Amino acid sequence: MSDIIRKILVYVDGTEHAVLAAHYAVCLSKTLDAELSALFVVNTQALGTLVRSRIFLEDEEMEYRNELNADAERYLHHVKAIGQEKSLDITLLNESGSVSGEIKKCVKENDIDLLVIGELSRIQSRRDQFYDETERAMRSVPCSVLIVKDEDRVWEMYDRLK
Amino acid sequence: MSLLDILTEDVIAVPLMSRDKSGAIMELLKLLKKSGQISNEDEAYDAVMMREDKGSTGLEKGIAVPHAKTAAVNKIAAAIGISAEGIEFGSLDGNPSKLIFLIIAPPAQSGTHVALLSEIARLTQYPTLCDELVEAKSPESVISILQGEE
Repeated sequence: MSDIIRKILVYVDGTEHAVLAAHYAVCLSKTLDAELSALFVVNTQALGTLVRSRIFLEDEEMEYRNELNADAERYLHHVKAIGQEKSLDITLLNESGSVSGEIKKCVKENDIDLLVIGELSRIQSRRDQFYDETERAMRSVPCSVLIVKDEDRVWEMYDRLK
Repeated sequence: MSLLDILTEDVIAVPLMSRDKSGAIMELLKLLKKSGQISNEDEAYDAVMMREDKGSTGLEKGIAVPHAKTAAVNKIAAAIGISAEGIEFGSLDGNPSKLIFLIIAPPAQSGTHVALLSEIARLTQYPTLCDELVEAKSPESVISILQGEE
């Protein structure tokens, strides 16, 4: 096991960028012999905002919460399979709350050395930069952060991995 | 994903020609159909109105956010309608809605649907921005205002 990076956390949110990040994290974890955890956060903070602003009804909030929980299970199991394909056991973490807050908490509680995230969304308006939750997490976590890019290279790296 | 990732000028009605809630929703759905984003506007209309029947999405300060999940779309779609006179939407404060954000999502994309509605909820917290949108004279101008360039 590497002394520099012992524990890696990959944040997955169901996007293609996050799936790519998970593949990269598996490669990195195998190469460094580091422990790998995958985190999905059900954004209940957003659901609460929608109820308070009256865009969602109470029963609508519950319906979406259940669907998001099901999404979390599905995505995390997909990540588990990405690891299993390369004989790597990934610890799955399913949390709910504010995305940036839960990522930060998870990094601290699990003594994570490196956070791996997918490519950030393109900034389309001045307001976006204040509200991108992954970017906020990237800025606030106490550990180093790696943003995964270059899809072709990552697939090639993953395919080559034994 | 943000609103500006999916919003195009051809799905922004400035001004809305309709004078009532059902007409305005159908007008926006027809724009989405014309732009190739929904397959069946009647199916989408039924889904939106079924949601409205449970409780109006007319918020305060002249904003309405009708939305629904339906198999009539393959990926999430949004349209905006602006009516300077306002449309009776059964809103919380009783005022007519001048700014209407319509969101139509496929059943299996709850995460994106919630993210997009959250973004609109945040936009409604900027009264100056909403006033500027209501004053917009063209779809191009609406996009520029949302980008924060006007």
